[in-house]
Amino acid sequence: MKTQASRFLLAASVASIVGVMGCGATVPPPELVAARTAYKKAADGPANKESPAQVHEAQLALDVAEKKWAEIPDSAEVKDLAYVAQRKAELAEATADTSLAVKQKDLSERGAQQAQVDALRSTQDQLTKTKEELEREKQRRADAEKRAAQAMADLQKIAAVKQDSRGVVITLSGGVLFKTGESKLLPAAMAQLNQVADALSGNNPDATIEVDGYTDNQGKDATNRELSQKRATSVADYIVSRGIAKDRVKAVGKGSDSPIADNTSTEGRAQNRRVEIVVGGGAAK
Amino acid sequence: MKRSRSLLFMPFVLAACGGSFPVPTERLSSAEGASRTAHELNAEGDPQAALHLKLANEQIEKAKAAMKNDDNKAADLLLQRASADAELSVQLAKGAKAKADAQSAQDRAAALRGGK
Repeated sequence: MKTQASRFLLAASVASIVGVMGCGATVPPPELVAARTAYKKAADGPANKESPAQVHEAQLALDVAEKKWAEIPDSAEVKDLAYVAQRKAELAEATADTSLAVKQKDLSERGAQQAQVDALRSTQDQLTKTKEELEREKQRRADAEKRAAQAMADLQKIAAVKQDSRGVVITLSGGVLFKTGESKLLPAAMAQLNQVADALSGNNPDATIEVDGYTDNQGKDATNRELSQKRATSVADYIVSRGIAKDRVKAVGKGSDSPIADNTSTEGRAQNRRVEIVVGGGAAK
Repeated sequence: MKRSRSLLFMPFVLAACGGSFPVPTERLSSAEGASRTAHELNAEGDPQAALHLKLANEQIEKAKAAMKNDDNKAADLLLQRASADAELSVQLAKGAKAKADAQSAQDRAAALRGGK
């Protein structure tokens, strides 16, 4: 029975057994080391949480390789099984990467949606604000017009207001405004002029205002012109001091021009001694 | 003792008659299927995915050659490797696309926040 061949075979077997059982520390093939490393990397990383099933599969594959190595350390099969185990570990990692990328995409999309919602809301808020502002502005204007209309109505109680080709003409009596021959405003005149100023300020802010001073035909022409100019200026300065824009107002001395009454009678002359405030001049009515 | 001794003889027995191992037809179709899927997912477009697809296809060819030589055991192991590479290629291809989509979404979101 114990031929040369079988004796050799037995010796080889014994040597192998000793080799496997004795030291127990045969150097693992690089493929198995790589598989172990790959598994550890996968198990320690995000794959643990994101793709646990694949990590488990990798572990099973590694176990198969380890078992084969323990049984037949030098077999080619160990290398193949280790290769597969390494790929499975890498698969677990790749699966985790994909999962994380999908989550990132979802997060970004939700962020984008939120940004759009916020932008829309902001636009709507702005629109509402603008609408409210316009409403307030409309109301302010309506109130201003109402006040102006009221002021004009009040004015018509104390002064003569008419409309002609020049615009709206407010005629104030010279006798009420000034002492004879003087151009300084009487205190009583100021109350009347306050009302005039109020009426003018509420109205069209672009309308021009011309203050025309008139005298009767008594005395020298030059004197009359000078007096009427000074009187017009007094009235103009006063209404500017009451808030009317300076660049709207012009003061003109007309002397004894354009009488509105007969200069031969006392009443007529009194009427001609006047100040006319003309509003409009083309810009507004 | 007894077990390890009989196992020691196993490789010699198997090497002598490799034909007793069944033909790995299922593993072959599975590996080829995964390879096709990877190709359909444009694995060739991503360097890592492309590498593993190439490895898979090479190993499939080697397995077919082994099967022609009736070396079914070798073919089986090659196909296990090929499947593992092909599946990895599939996942890497999916991952590449998912990362590109994530980047696009991030860019869009940033544009919306920072822009008009």
